[in-house]
Amino acid sequence: MTKKVKLKISARLVKKRSRRYGFAGSRNCRFCTNAEQLALIDFKNVPFLKGFMTERGKILPARISGNCCLHQRALAKEIKSARVMALLPYTAAQY
Amino acid sequence: MVSRYEVLILTVPEITADESKNIETQFDRVIKEAKGSIISFEKWGKYKLAYPIRKNDYGIYFLARFEVNTAAVEEVRSLLALKFYELIMRHAIVLLDPKKSLAYQKPLSLEDAPARDVNTFLKENRMEGLMSSNASVGAAEDYEEDLA
Repeated sequence: MTKKVKLKISARLVKKRSRRYGFAGSRNCRFCTNAEQLALIDFKNVPFLKGFMTERGKILPARISGNCCLHQRALAKEIKSARVMALLPYTAAQY
Repeated sequence: MVSRYEVLILTVPEITADESKNIETQFDRVIKEAKGSIISFEKWGKYKLAYPIRKNDYGIYFLARFEVNTAAVEEVRSLLALKFYELIMRHAIVLLDPKKSLAYQKPLSLEDAPARDVNTFLKENRMEGLMSSNASVGAAEDYEEDLA
């Protein structure tokens, strides 16, 4: 029976390996699973759209909000339409 | 080919009732000439804009929905953009799916939003003592009591 030799792995290498596999369990897109939410994506629906923007007025990336790319694009399009109609800001107010 | 559209119109806040009635009648006329039908014409009310437009911080929104053939949309656009340039600051014409429902959500207007005066604000934030005339020393003591 050979003795198992434990190789010393540096902490830096361990962290590097764990970083490769990223966050465990991808979130599901709330619009893919729920059709009522799909109907809420509208440029007039300001309180709903505000939940997908930061305080500075920037649109949240899909990796944070968990949207799939199809619905992220639809959402961004509606947010931009609302910005044109002054329902949502382009940037955080200075006042 | 007849399609369903909706227009969101943003006008100056100083618009009078006569002028908004005029916009509505002109709009009706254009749609009737194109042999279409109007589904709804609603006034949303006065809103605070997200950024000042033409130096106005507030504006009045109207939402109109109509069905008309696709060639006539250009008429509607020229009506809103050219004829009423003084009054209408922004407009957005959107194609609607006729099979989907007409329900929509709209943001709270200034009239609908609950009016908040100084006393309710202070009560909500538990700052009652701060604004009274003999506040100076007493308020500091109360604050330290709250912290303890």
